[in-house]
Parts: sequence; structure tokens; C-alpha cells
Amino acid sequence: MVTDTPTAVLERSRPIQLPERFLGLLPGIGLLLVIGYLGKLAEEGVRAYGKAHHQALPNIEYVLWAIVFGLVIANTVGVPKIFRAGVATYEFWLKAGIVLLGARFLLGDVVKLGGISLALVAVELVVAIAIMTVLGRAFRLKPKLISLLAIGSSICGVSAIIAGKGAIEADDEDATFAIAAILALGAFGLFAYPVIGHALGLSDHAFGLWAGLAVDNTAEAAAAGAIYSDAAGKVAVLTKSTRNATIGFVVLAYALYWASRGQAKTVANKARFLWEKFPKFVLGFLVISGLATAGLFDKGQTAALANLSRWAFLLTFAGVGLKTDFRELRRQGLRPFVVGALAELSVTVVTLGLVAGAAAVFKL
Amino acid sequence: MVPEASPSPTPPSRRFRLTLDTWAVLLAAVLTLLVVLRAIPRVPW
Repeated sequence: MVTDTPTAVLERSRPIQLPERFLGLLPGIGLLLVIGYLGKLAEEGVRAYGKAHHQALPNIEYVLWAIVFGLVIANTVGVPKIFRAGVATYEFWLKAGIVLLGARFLLGDVVKLGGISLALVAVELVVAIAIMTVLGRAFRLKPKLISLLAIGSSICGVSAIIAGKGAIEADDEDATFAIAAILALGAFGLFAYPVIGHALGLSDHAFGLWAGLAVDNTAEAAAAGAIYSDAAGKVAVLTKSTRNATIGFVVLAYALYWASRGQAKTVANKARFLWEKFPKFVLGFLVISGLATAGLFDKGQTAALANLSRWAFLLTFAGVGLKTDFRELRRQGLRPFVVGALAELSVTVVTLGLVAGAAAVFKL
Repeated sequence: MVPEASPSPTPPSRRFRLTLDTWAVLLAAVLTLLVVLRAIPRVPW
């Protein structure tokens, strides 16, 4: 056993200063950039090879390459400690990327697509929570783990689970499992959804709506959309952001439920609770979209902002693969994973039905 | 009856820390400003 020397203890107890924290992020951010860029090179390389040899090779988006490279590293050699803090910034790049993506949306489109999304999100929330609760009880999972899986599968995977964990005072172990399960199931979805979408001949808008509704992790929803097409990626991000905006209401409902049973703190100020949980990047997205609608950006500037958003997403997608560790799932056994998978499958089918209906009504 | 929540144990200096969301919005705002001011004229992809 390794014992800490007094110096080591002293070193650890010293508060970490901001420059040190920033420097500590650089190796991981560098790794995200390398993996993301390798994905881009792989996409371009395959295309160039097909062209040079006159072969019709399928166009595999850089998104998929970056995720696969990340998955291979995370699940074989693992991510060395020096890179972990920086890799965890993938969610930061995702949010910055979404805000910048606002430049490619006119507010009118946001209102139209957001309105359709919100109506479908309402149905999806009820269905996902009901299915996860019924299945969780049938498989006798721990009640708070059911709550976390329900929050994660109905809204937005990781951040919802973290928000929910604090509010309902769930165990770290349950939260770690719920996050691993949501990410792993999302990773399967990434590969399966575009294939199903193409088989059903879904339009870009319909597919984006479906990915945004059915994939739980925001980064994976954006990736699933982007794998299908650029336009589908845009719609998937918008739909998923609408879903994320409901996070406060669902977490509040669960917090009130567990508080009423004496197993969580009471919520003193509900309006403040809702504001604290509200994803602020959604507001940033709306502001940039408003500026684009007002004509503040010319064509070149819109293109620059769109490309900055693409670079931010490139870092995000590399992080998705690196953060998905299937080995985490073994720790709680197969049962909770089966419940999660069954619930996700049900939500997938229900949301596909919803999107097919909406596509017919709104001519998407 | 459920007891009222105890005061937050968070030290005052931590209460004003910016969240991940806010940092992301700030970065996007700075980049947008740089693009508008043409300090970043074009971004390759």
C-alpha cells in the first residue's frame, strides 16, 4: 500500500490556483483537438480514396470517426489521468458551439421548429418518465436510481442527472451508473438511428427532430443529427435544446416528490430553483439568433460563426467517445442497464411515431 | 414533518463562481464580438 508523505498531503491540501487549473486542462483539450481532427482527416481521406479509385464509398462523417476513435481509446487503454480534466471540457465546447449555432437560425424558424419541438417534448417527457418508472419498479431497482434514470431519459442525460442527483440527494454510485447507462445507450443510438432514418427515408428536418427527442445526451443528439446531415444536425440541436429547457420543471417535480417523503431537502424558493436549473446557453443561442435575424452579420461573418461552431462541436464529439466507458456499466450489474435499454427502445419507437405524425401535419 | 433546509454550507467565495453554461456563453459572446469587429475575418473548416 502506498502511504502519503507529509509533503504530499500538504501539496494536496493547497488550494489550486486558476492558472494551474487552466494549464491542467490543456493536455486534454489538445487530445480532443487531435482526435477530432483525425476524424476530419479520416472523412476527407476516405472521400479522396473513393474518388481516386473511382469507388462509391459511403460518406462517413468526421463525427462518427471522432467518436469511434474516442471509444476505442476509452475502452481499451483508457484515458490517462493527465488528459481527464481537459477531456471533461467537452460539455463546455458543446454549449459554446450551440450558442454560436444561433447565427445559422432565424428567430422565425426557431419559433416554428421550437414550438413543434416543445409540443412533442411534452408528450415525450410524460411517456419517458412513465415507461422508466413502470419498468424500474417491475425490475425492482432502487427508487432513487429509477428517478435518476427517468430524469436522464426524459430530458438530457448527463446534466439532468447531475442536477437531479443534488436535488433528490441520490448516491454517487447511482448517478455514475445512470450517466454511464445514458451515454452507452446514446452511443448505440448514434450508430443505429441514422441507419433507421435512411431506411425510412426521413427528411433532414424529421430526422433532426427525432434525434433531438430520442437521444438523451445533448452531445450525442447533436452527433446523431450531424451524422445524418448538416441540416439534420441543426434541427437536432434546436430540438434537444428545447428539451433541455424543461430540465428545471422535471427536476423540481422530483425534488418536491422526494421532499414530501422526507428523503430530500424542501425547496424553499421554487422560482429561484427553476432559474438555477435553467440551461443559460439556451438564452445565449436565442440572443445570437436574434442578432442574425436583425441582420447584424453579413454572409462572411455568418460563415465564420458557423465554422467556429463546427470547431467547438469537433472538440465535443471527440469527448463523447472518450467519456463513454462501457466498463462502468458492469459495476451495478445488468438489471438497471436492461431497464434503461428497454425504456430507451420504447421512447425511440414512440418518438418516431410522434415525428412521423408531425412530419405529415407540418410538412417537415 | 420535514425540517426546513439548513443554510448552504457553500463558502461565500464559491457562491459567485460562474457556471459552465455562463463561461460557454461568455466565450461565444467574445468570439461573436471578434467576428463582428472583423478581428477574426474568416474561419476555415
